[in-house]
Amino acid sequence: MTSRVVVSIRVPCSPIQAFEVFTDEISEWWSDNELFRFTPRSPGKLAFEPPSDASHGRLVEQLPNGKIFEIGPIRVWHPGERLVVGWRQATFGPEHATEVEVRFEPVGSHTRVTVEHRGWDTVPQDHLARHTFPLTIFYQRQGEQWRAGLEHLRNKLSQD
Amino acid sequence: MSAKKKPEIDTILSALADPARRRAIEILGERPRRAGELADLLDLPAPAMSRHLKALKASGLVIESHPEIDARVRVYALNAPRLSELKDWLEKAEQLWSGQLSSFAAHIAKREIARGKAK
Repeated sequence: MTSRVVVSIRVPCSPIQAFEVFTDEISEWWSDNELFRFTPRSPGKLAFEPPSDASHGRLVEQLPNGKIFEIGPIRVWHPGERLVVGWRQATFGPEHATEVEVRFEPVGSHTRVTVEHRGWDTVPQDHLARHTFPLTIFYQRQGEQWRAGLEHLRNKLSQD
Repeated sequence: MSAKKKPEIDTILSALADPARRRAIEILGERPRRAGELADLLDLPAPAMSRHLKALKASGLVIESHPEIDARVRVYALNAPRLSELKDWLEKAEQLWSGQLSSFAAHIAKREIARGKAK
């Protein structure tokens, strides 16, 4: 058992195009979901601020009142391959950020986009404190045993 | 921060933040056990086991009962309704991402069509 959700979908473009649309155009494709509002003032506009020399980058929601809510810091940013970003809703305690990993894999001329949302039982605790390091294999293994019980919840939507 | 003010799922997931407690849940998934049995199976000293059980009880994931034959014995078991709250959260997260990815794919399809027309 784990609080980990994996969903994937196939799109008719290259991994780099899929990555760019996923990040640059998130405000255009993200659809408001009442069950998963980030703050009581949501919905606003989602935006990725890519990492630069000056900052690690982050995912934010620009709220209608002009304020910016940081959903999470970017932890991995490999255009065309993978990104990992912290994921916090305003109701979560500060120590309880979850984490979202998005992978882009070529399938012929298409791309499989896989989103893995890890609850904080599967996010390494030191990871939350440091905010910058990618997941290690060790921690992924630790999560392995937890996958079994909720197998039926995973990849249900995979179109492959 | 008061535990009562936190959303339910928050308490559950933070109780599960520890690998020993997750393992305890798995073991209790087989059948109810006494604290001593759990400590042996997890290879933990009794005080550590008792701290973990306290956290698990506080989260509501685990309940304590006394078998009829001996009221002095305490037996720990999973609390099914609490576990289903966790499952609900997972299902909600899955619905969210299924919906968002469909919307993402629809957006890409629209772009592809627009690009096709532009040619």
